[in-house]
Amino acid sequence: MKLELVAHTPNVETMIATSMLTTTSGAQPSTLYDRLLSKPEKVREVVGRAEVQHGNILEHNRMVWMLEATGDEVLEATLDTRFLTFTRLGETRWLVSGNLRAVVEYAQSRKTPLTDALAASVKDAAPNVHGFLEDKKR
Amino acid sequence: MKTRLLAHTPYEELRDRFPELGWRQLLPHLAYTFAVEKISRACSHQLVRHRVASFSQQSQRYITVKRLSERVVTPPTVDDSETFHELVEKASEAYQGLVESGVPREDARFVLPNATETSLLMTMDGAALFHFYGLRLCNRAQWEIRRLADAMLAQCRAAEQEVFENAGPYCYMLGYCPEGRFTCGGMAEALERYKPEGSP
Repeated sequence: MKLELVAHTPNVETMIATSMLTTTSGAQPSTLYDRLLSKPEKVREVVGRAEVQHGNILEHNRMVWMLEATGDEVLEATLDTRFLTFTRLGETRWLVSGNLRAVVEYAQSRKTPLTDALAASVKDAAPNVHGFLEDKKR
Repeated sequence: MKTRLLAHTPYEELRDRFPELGWRQLLPHLAYTFAVEKISRACSHQLVRHRVASFSQQSQRYITVKRLSERVVTPPTVDDSETFHELVEKASEAYQGLVESGVPREDARFVLPNATETSLLMTMDGAALFHFYGLRLCNRAQWEIRRLADAMLAQCRAAEQEVFENAGPYCYMLGYCPEGRFTCGGMAEALERYKPEGSP
């Protein structure tokens, strides 16, 4: 099994912080997003509180992966999680996508080569969220 | 009302990497996040009926509604209505009174009208977004959500013309009106309105 993150929406953690603050502050979401783009420390601090929030704050993004796996491996994944989308590209090649919530919940519920690879793949796009997943493993 | 496409998946990058897939097959893998601002709660109730989507909305449990009369969406049909404006004033007084007397915001908000403004972050995948446009750009859709859908489509077309020149009300996408006996009869006008710029 081989997994490669090929694309994702930009500024994933800025969007998570925007989502969190939208629900509780009176500021407009676009204003929050613009402000947070230039404040990575603030984003880190807000995302650091993400564990106690509703999971929906992790949904405003999309990760797209190229997966090399057998049909059985993909069947197992589709039975495990309803929130990843698969398109078959060839005998063992698949285009897969989903949001961070799907990754986090799947990685926390099952320990498989795919969930390990999914969690590892978001390290650059969402370093703080990746950090939670690593902490939970310990 | 204001909307802005804040982020989206890079369609062209995926198209070039997976040329065997057309835009339609890529749609479920694409996602679009919008800031939707200053719509009515009536409109947001309609929005959240699109279940294949993610929403983060301003919470009336945490955010106090100040100066309600300045924070309502007024439908054009009641703009001159004294009844409407009086009711908003009364609701405003009742809400403020309850909050000041110590009633939690989560309970005081029960007196707020559907016209109360709200803002939210919304993410839809491409397939869900096409379905949203199909329904909500229809002449039969309610004016506020239709206006919102129009503004969202303009932003999507500016960002990814190749994909979104295919989006419009269902009559535009299907080539026939699916509304049956409820049809508005204005399909020709809709096709003209949503045809991409520069097409004959």
